[in-house]
Amino acid sequence: MTAFLDARTLPSGTILEPDIAIIGGGPAGISLALALADTPLNILLLESGGLNFDPANQKMYGGAQSGVPYIALDAGRLRFLGGSTNHWGGWCRPLDEIDFEARQWLPHSGWPFPRTTLEPYYQRAQSLVEAGPWLYDKTATGMAAQGPPLPMGEGGVYTSWFQFSKTRDSELPTYFGHRYEGQLKLAPRVKPLLQGNVTGIRLSSNGRQVDRLDVGTLTGKTFTVTPRITILAAGGMENARLLLVSNDVMKTGAGNQNDLVGRFFADNPIPRNVATLVSFAGPLPAYYGANLALDRGPVVRATFSPTDAFRRATHVAASLTTVEQGVELDEKGTAAVVTTAIALGVDASNAKAYSLGCGMELNPDPERRLTLSDEKDALGLPRLKLAMRMADSDFLLYHATMRELGRQLLMSKSGMVRINPHQEWSKNMDWGNHHLGTTRMHDDPKQGVVNADGRVHGIANLYVAGSSLFPTYGASNPTLNLIALTLKLADHLKKAAL
Amino acid sequence: MKRRTVLGGVAAVGAVVAAGLYRFTDLFVKHYPPTPYDGVLAALTDRDEAAKFGALMRDAGTPESLAAKLRAIGNPNALARAAQSDIAAGRLSEVDGWIVPECVALLSALAAKV
Repeated sequence: MTAFLDARTLPSGTILEPDIAIIGGGPAGISLALALADTPLNILLLESGGLNFDPANQKMYGGAQSGVPYIALDAGRLRFLGGSTNHWGGWCRPLDEIDFEARQWLPHSGWPFPRTTLEPYYQRAQSLVEAGPWLYDKTATGMAAQGPPLPMGEGGVYTSWFQFSKTRDSELPTYFGHRYEGQLKLAPRVKPLLQGNVTGIRLSSNGRQVDRLDVGTLTGKTFTVTPRITILAAGGMENARLLLVSNDVMKTGAGNQNDLVGRFFADNPIPRNVATLVSFAGPLPAYYGANLALDRGPVVRATFSPTDAFRRATHVAASLTTVEQGVELDEKGTAAVVTTAIALGVDASNAKAYSLGCGMELNPDPERRLTLSDEKDALGLPRLKLAMRMADSDFLLYHATMRELGRQLLMSKSGMVRINPHQEWSKNMDWGNHHLGTTRMHDDPKQGVVNADGRVHGIANLYVAGSSLFPTYGASNPTLNLIALTLKLADHLKKAAL
Repeated sequence: MKRRTVLGGVAAVGAVVAAGLYRFTDLFVKHYPPTPYDGVLAALTDRDEAAKFGALMRDAGTPESLAAKLRAIGNPNALARAAQSDIAAGRLSEVDGWIVPECVALLSALAAKV
């Protein structure tokens, strides 16, 4: 077992020559390093932080922002080994088929391949996030002991399922740094280098390939890495930043010849208390409002999702609506429930009301973007500036999904829904800290920063990994999906580099 | 005592007893002043709750216009059928955010206006 290298201990001027340099030790970087560990390739895994949180490192993430209120840029991500899995909630769900499709009603939509292309990688991704056997929408069949799901009439919304990272014991989700530290140390050709900040991706004079990476430490050391292939896996914000600051040859930034790097930034808004769901028959099964550990099985939670068919027919965006907590109805709400239940001929004397929250999808927007600010970090790199936007239409689309859920509950005579005013949604807004879309994939260089393999258009040996590649986002939490995408990249690299 | 006086007294006592019984049954079945829309309102088994809900729809229209839209509904069974028909056809109303069959919204609005 080899200990991790600490960049601060290397002499300035050192030149490292791995076959592959992976910039970033988060879920994408670690998954990629592990996937390539059994090849003859020498891998250098460059992590800017250490093994644990360090305020000085974290400060490098600070930046400016404008527009819709959003989490501070140094608060929604973590700069040490394991990256943002060090604070994730472990929510896992594959993207839906329609998330990959180009939709004529949705500008800039569609991945360069269908979901079937990722299918071979999902099982291994599931294993890496330790979410147990692949159940998801097959979960309902095994839930008899917990009570059947809320009956819903036929329609555009169905009960879907999350699974959660780390089913072993009752511990927190899988923190990739801590969990895979041992495996990384055991991999003879993988060298993790901690405290090494890439400060520039230096291109050849014609801009067509990466010649070297400049690396610096907060203690003032500088050295060079000359890999055959570089993979940028530093997260949805930092991937864009490192391309933009690498502007010595391509003046707009590496890979930014079409002014796309940093554009289309997205996250999943999580408005709370968007609606009230009333179950006429009384309390819902536990798996609606809480994560439920199945006997010797995965941890699951039910969610309401629009079907792909409904999304195609009505053009609503992806959303995953979850039951939050029980609520008391006021006099008018009680009157609504009593009157409706009587009209339907059902007994609502034990009715129970719950607030609903939601993880929503934003539509792609090129003006929701990251650029460089004039302020610089401790290593002299320009900090990021985020222009955050959210359109009214994003809420309106979700409203249509809630209305359909309400219709289906009425149809089955099992319950009803109240949609709360949109102003309340904004008041109670969280974000998923899912940084998406800033180096989007597209086969056409004018519409994407990278191609379907993740290679930066126009640069032969530079790839990007992670959720910054997602051209459209879905509502599913990205970690499982970005790992599947990274494992696809690993297969490509095995062919390209060997 | 004259026979006419006796009969009058019996009638008066009878009226008082009848009125008392009427009020007593009010504990079980609420009585409302007659309206021109009682044929429609008969579909509601809890008119007070419907009226509370219907009060949220101030601009629902006149009682006449509401009753006209509801004339096929005259009993709870017909209301249940109409509600299911509305749901299946997607004829839903949003009342203070509550998603309800259109006929339930209209009937509640009518109950609030009479």
